[in-house]
Amino acid sequence: MKFTVFILSAFFGVGILSAQRDSVIVLNEVILSDSKLSQFAEGRKLTILKDSVLQVNKGMLTDNLKFTTPIYFRQNGYGMVSSASFRGTSAQQTAVVWNGININSQLTGQTDFNTVMAQNYDAIQIRSGGGSTQYGTGAVGGSIHLNDQLHFENEFENDLRIGYGSFETRNLHYKSKWGTGKTAYSIGLGHFGSENNFKYLGTNQRNENGAFTNQNLDFAFGQLLSDTHIIKFFHNTFLGNRDFSGTLTAPSNDTYRDLNTRSLLELTNFKKKYVQRVKMAYLSERFRYYANKESDAFSFGKSGSFLLNYDYLYRFKKWKFNGIIEANNVKAEGSSILAERRNRVGAIVLISHAPSEKLVYELDLRQDWVNDFNSPVVFSTDFKYQASEKYALKFNASRNYRIPTFNDLYWDGPGATGNLDLTPETALQAEIGQTLQLKKGSFSLNGFYIATQDLIQWRPDISGTWSPNNIADVTQYGLEFETEFNKNFGAHQVQMKSIYAYTKAIDNQSNTQLIYVPLHKLTATIAYHYKKWSSFFQGLHNGNVYTTTDNSQDLSDYLVLNAGLTYKLPDKYGIQTQLQLVANNVTNTNYQNVAFRPMPNRNVNLNINFKF
Amino acid sequence: MNQSRVGVLIILSLIVVACSKEDVDPKEPLGAYENGILISNEGPFQNGTGTVSFISEDLEMVENAIYNAVNNEDLGNIVQSIGFTDSKAYVIANNSNKITVVNRYTFKKETIIETGLSNPRYFVSANGKGYVTNWGDTADDTDDFVAVINLTTNTVESSIAVELGPEEIVAQSNDIYVAHEGAFGQNNKVSVIDNTDAVTSVITVGDVPNALQFDATGNLWVLSGGKPSFTGEETAGSLSRINTATNEVVAQFDFQSTEHPNHLSYDGTNVYYSLAGAVYSMSTSALELPTEASFEGLNIYAMAIKDGKLYTTDAGDFASIGNLSIYDLNTKEELKAIAVGIIPGGIYFN
Repeated sequence: MKFTVFILSAFFGVGILSAQRDSVIVLNEVILSDSKLSQFAEGRKLTILKDSVLQVNKGMLTDNLKFTTPIYFRQNGYGMVSSASFRGTSAQQTAVVWNGININSQLTGQTDFNTVMAQNYDAIQIRSGGGSTQYGTGAVGGSIHLNDQLHFENEFENDLRIGYGSFETRNLHYKSKWGTGKTAYSIGLGHFGSENNFKYLGTNQRNENGAFTNQNLDFAFGQLLSDTHIIKFFHNTFLGNRDFSGTLTAPSNDTYRDLNTRSLLELTNFKKKYVQRVKMAYLSERFRYYANKESDAFSFGKSGSFLLNYDYLYRFKKWKFNGIIEANNVKAEGSSILAERRNRVGAIVLISHAPSEKLVYELDLRQDWVNDFNSPVVFSTDFKYQASEKYALKFNASRNYRIPTFNDLYWDGPGATGNLDLTPETALQAEIGQTLQLKKGSFSLNGFYIATQDLIQWRPDISGTWSPNNIADVTQYGLEFETEFNKNFGAHQVQMKSIYAYTKAIDNQSNTQLIYVPLHKLTATIAYHYKKWSSFFQGLHNGNVYTTTDNSQDLSDYLVLNAGLTYKLPDKYGIQTQLQLVANNVTNTNYQNVAFRPMPNRNVNLNINFKF
Repeated sequence: MNQSRVGVLIILSLIVVACSKEDVDPKEPLGAYENGILISNEGPFQNGTGTVSFISEDLEMVENAIYNAVNNEDLGNIVQSIGFTDSKAYVIANNSNKITVVNRYTFKKETIIETGLSNPRYFVSANGKGYVTNWGDTADDTDDFVAVINLTTNTVESSIAVELGPEEIVAQSNDIYVAHEGAFGQNNKVSVIDNTDAVTSVITVGDVPNALQFDATGNLWVLSGGKPSFTGEETAGSLSRINTATNEVVAQFDFQSTEHPNHLSYDGTNVYYSLAGAVYSMSTSALELPTEASFEGLNIYAMAIKDGKLYTTDAGDFASIGNLSIYDLNTKEELKAIAVGIIPGGIYFN
């Protein structure tokens, strides 16, 4: 930011430098649209996945997060629909937030993690625990934050990566950033595709009908209008074309196309004491599902969501007050979804107080008013005590919710019907976390408890028609233990990160573990650098998961190992070049993530990366 | 050495004992799964395999996933139903588009039929052939058919184009009757196919015919569920009696407008059907639908009546092991509840 300070002071003159400096400090905060992450999450567990981590696992967000977070992913075969279970909660109870806006589908209530291209974001943040007061529906188990970072620097940076590998897997990534002190642009293009026709180990079958191609476009623009005003625009388009894989027992001949767009315009006015923002966003999703890809017949669904948000942050001594008013209009329809609209108005208050250098606490309240159901009042409180430079204690408690989706309410198809009497799922939760930050490493230990009520589940009624009801009550509790080490021996550098998660997710009525929630999940990555060489090893141990609600059947545990080697070529004409070879599932383990859907056997990828 | 000799001796004596026992039996058993109940379990919806459970006649012995145990492989996704010939069972896996042909008493695999099927549903044997209803592509209302199987080669040798949504299929002497429930839509027809595989008649019945049953005099009873409320044009269920000599509906009993009956059984004097978790019995000579239920408060996914007993299955939450319950028709007492497989959808007496 020093550079920006220089640019700004040069522009406005030295006389007002001190005033500018204050603005600049604020500017640092307002560049990020998801400001709550830096302003109102002190008592939370927040993990940042940086570029270096994101580059290890190329492809879609599932590939990254399953090796680098405690989150469990349930994939209907590699590259197919992927849903998250964060701390044992359901797919609809994990929110994905793009530049501060919740982008979970209006139709299904969840984000398919194989429709988000991870490598296009500079940083991905994982916020563990409930966040409904700030991010709305679905932020129950936790939330995943995708942020575009604007760089107001006089630089022109390009990053081009091309890769090819087993099963005709191709990936292309291009990102270009350009900025002056007042203007910043970035554009990102992504392509990730594969024939995905790997052999099912131990059988004579292949993964038939599993090909996919995903395209992604990102665009970000920021302009300082004055020393107190900034306008920003962000856009993302994702286009997916996937044949949905068959299973060991059933072939498949279907295909699925989806197109998602997100646009956000944000005008910010900032001073030392206050920041006010007006945001306008439009999110659209549409899909076509062809049950028989040779036929022209398809079913479809689409939604459009318009959001208007006013956000006022006021600083007073050691206090921060943030009030937000939000209006949202959603339209959705589909082959089996009645055309409906939803109007929502929300009011949010966030208060943070730091009575001393060591102590910060926060209180959030939120109420929404929605035309088609009653939305609950939710709250959140958190607390952080930084006992020493090394040790911090965190605590938070919150009430969170997941609203009924358009499918839940307005489904109208063969053998199934929505239910207009649904109420939102609500969850009370508490969490205690400790972090120990040492010179060469860090530890964190978090324990959580979640009590969810009125879980929406689809069941057939007495006449055989399926419909959703607020049936189940669920209790989740568990532990997350994370360690990180860095060690240098002369030119040798070693980094290590490991995560262990223990998750109980119990249906209160049957007292059984929820399906597809592993009790144990362990991930570890070791990276080693020496001069122009670097290498990594990565492991994921997934405990067994139950596939039936009575826990009568399960999928056995598995260990998957990946390894990679990178060589940095000498720079030429100012171009940095890197070659990377990655081998996934090096032990050729036969494993399933969802029953009867084998995952890929050993596969290799070669990547070349240019930076200029 | 000594130990292994002892072992050999024990095994030999066991074989001798087994042989001598067989010699005493007047009739040689046809297989482990003779004289008992077979339950077809659909299995989990999207990913998985259906199974077949066997329960001995005295209800004492239960064996689940018998096909997997005998053949060490899976039947396929969504085991919709089982059809029988004298010696064989035809196990239909709907989503896998295949029929596994097994010896009905040993459950040893004979072959698998995979070509000529598209969304197969039910099997019946007649005229020395096998007939399988097929929905075809569910997006296409005009490609529905009945596949004709050569029972010697176990291949589909021809197909008969029929109306939308062929479901249950039954045969009496040379005639085959197909209920057109309507697949993902609704229909209201029963087709008649003769021994030349020609559709000779299409009989209009109530909406959504979901079950067929012959009575002792040769009449065909057709239970129609009516159009469900989500269609926006809800119709009442009905029970029709077809005179199979003329192939005409000779009697029709209408339910109340929001009543949607399902499952039809016959025990030689009465027909039985289920309605909203209750089971009703009605004499074949009755002039009106019964008003009083024989059983109430059940969760019925499949139903059968045999020898004074009511057999029902409960699929629970459709994602866990289901149950078979057996009730005494006279005392209404539950005789036994037996855990079977996931989504038990068919009850057969072997």
